[in-house]
Amino acid sequence: MPVIEVEALTRRYTTRTGFRRRTRKDVEAVRGISFEVGRGELFGLLGPNGAGKTTTIKMLITLLLPTSGSARVLGHDVVAEPREVRRRIGYVFGGDKGLYERLSGLDNLRYFAELYGVPAREQGPRIGELLELVGLTGRERERVEGYSRGMRQRLHIARGLLHRPDVLFLDEPSIGIDPVGARELRQTVASLTSQGTTVLLTTHYMFEADELCDRIAVIAGGLIVAEGTPAELKSRVADGHVVEIEVFDGVGDRLDAVRAIPGVTSVGVEDGGHSQLLVVRTDAAATVTPAVLGRLDGLALGRVATREPTLEDAYVELVRQA
Amino acid sequence: MRTSLRIFFLGGLTSYRALFHWLTPWILIPTFVVGPIFQLLFFAYVGRAAGVGDDTFYLIGNAVELASIPCLFAMGNTIGNERYTQTLGLLLASPARRLPLFLGRALPVVVNGFAVSFLVLVLGALVLHVSIPVAAWAPLVAVLAVCAFSCTGLGLASAALALRVRETAVLSNIIMGVLIVFCGVNVAVSALPAWMQSVAQVLPLTHGIEAARELVAGASWAAVMPLVRDEALIGVVYGAIGMAMLFFFERESRRHATLELA
Repeated sequence: MPVIEVEALTRRYTTRTGFRRRTRKDVEAVRGISFEVGRGELFGLLGPNGAGKTTTIKMLITLLLPTSGSARVLGHDVVAEPREVRRRIGYVFGGDKGLYERLSGLDNLRYFAELYGVPAREQGPRIGELLELVGLTGRERERVEGYSRGMRQRLHIARGLLHRPDVLFLDEPSIGIDPVGARELRQTVASLTSQGTTVLLTTHYMFEADELCDRIAVIAGGLIVAEGTPAELKSRVADGHVVEIEVFDGVGDRLDAVRAIPGVTSVGVEDGGHSQLLVVRTDAAATVTPAVLGRLDGLALGRVATREPTLEDAYVELVRQA
Repeated sequence: MRTSLRIFFLGGLTSYRALFHWLTPWILIPTFVVGPIFQLLFFAYVGRAAGVGDDTFYLIGNAVELASIPCLFAMGNTIGNERYTQTLGLLLASPARRLPLFLGRALPVVVNGFAVSFLVLVLGALVLHVSIPVAAWAPLVAVLAVCAFSCTGLGLASAALALRVRETAVLSNIIMGVLIVFCGVNVAVSALPAWMQSVAQVLPLTHGIEAARELVAGASWAAVMPLVRDEALIGVVYGAIGMAMLFFFERESRRHATLELA
């Protein structure tokens, strides 16, 4: 039996603005998505900002009611049996909020241990074990207001694991963490799944999803536009190539000309500070590098490289098509 | 059961420490001691100058009423500040039973309210040279505790709005104004217009203030017992309204996403 079962899940928000002339706006954040996650699986939910990832997670952790459709976690309906769901899940979100600043890290963990009904005699050893796991041993008696963002994020992880949840929801957990901290976080998450914990992860970092996830669903505009293993998603664009060209002048007015080259499927620009990286995706048959260089004639160019598509390329392509 | 008791006592105290941002000497002493003494002195001297009431009248009225500072604001903070720390979602996503979770937060507030009242009573009596009969002190302390309890009930009802709106401090200020005007703090309830007297009967503090004044005037505990009972009953009713509102707004937050959109 799947641990998470989502069927035709929809969530609509209604916002009202204005005082005298109230205007009402309906936004369909999630539009009938369906997916399943198996026991011990690490399932990634990828999508741009506003795609519906967090709304989906909030419905699964019982903070929001679906407008229609259904969702079950460990066989319990998120609408009808919220308390049963809450007992068995952990929820961690990114950023430096969501902690009691005036309390020490230890008191934060003690408080949430009480909320999750961790027996008093088990709290001490469990908290000690988690502090060790997230590398906060020795800092636990300091107030959280003095913690760095990375320390806060690690404390979040410890908090989410206090009651040994069967399912852990991680909503962009590595946002704002330095590379070393993010790597440690990935190791921690990977070790959880090896112990049988089911994890649903949302992230913007493709390498993170590629490294960690067993399966991924790409969500855009409230719809799942693709689902599969990272390898399967990459294979969707595996027939093509990616040409990367470093440009030292502004590339802006040449973009349309590059897009018009036969065989070019998409063009993106990544700002690198003193230069820009033009990323040109092509279909299998096309050899477009000379044509692209021709369109950029007169600009100061740096490195030119051709490479195989990555998960990020697959993601960009999928979101672009959505 | 044990889990609920731990959430009520330990959880309540922890969230009070975590969320009541006034718990620093630089805010605590001026807010709970200096300001209240000035309020007391102001009304006592106005009363003296106008020749309408003695110092004891103002001392009792203000000492009891000043419990409303923590009872309204601390109660509002310990629920409303969950929004600012963005812990409200985590709290509501936890399986903890809501009754001990929120009622536990009221317990330190009751103690805080009582402490402020008692301190103002003692310091005020010393400053204004008001003599309170020794026999009256024990029942008086009990009345102060009951008043802190009933006012916290009102505070809980007001704080419950934090699950629906961003700001509860404005409402707390208005409620404080209502209490000081309607409850016989500085003007006897009997001197108020009839409609205000009717409102006073359903507000916390009114019966408690009357009971406290009668005790200082020499009444026995048995004589003021009906007033104390009514005061406690009003606290229970407001507390129940507060809990019902918390349950309602939590359900609404799931339905209308008000935690995100309020």
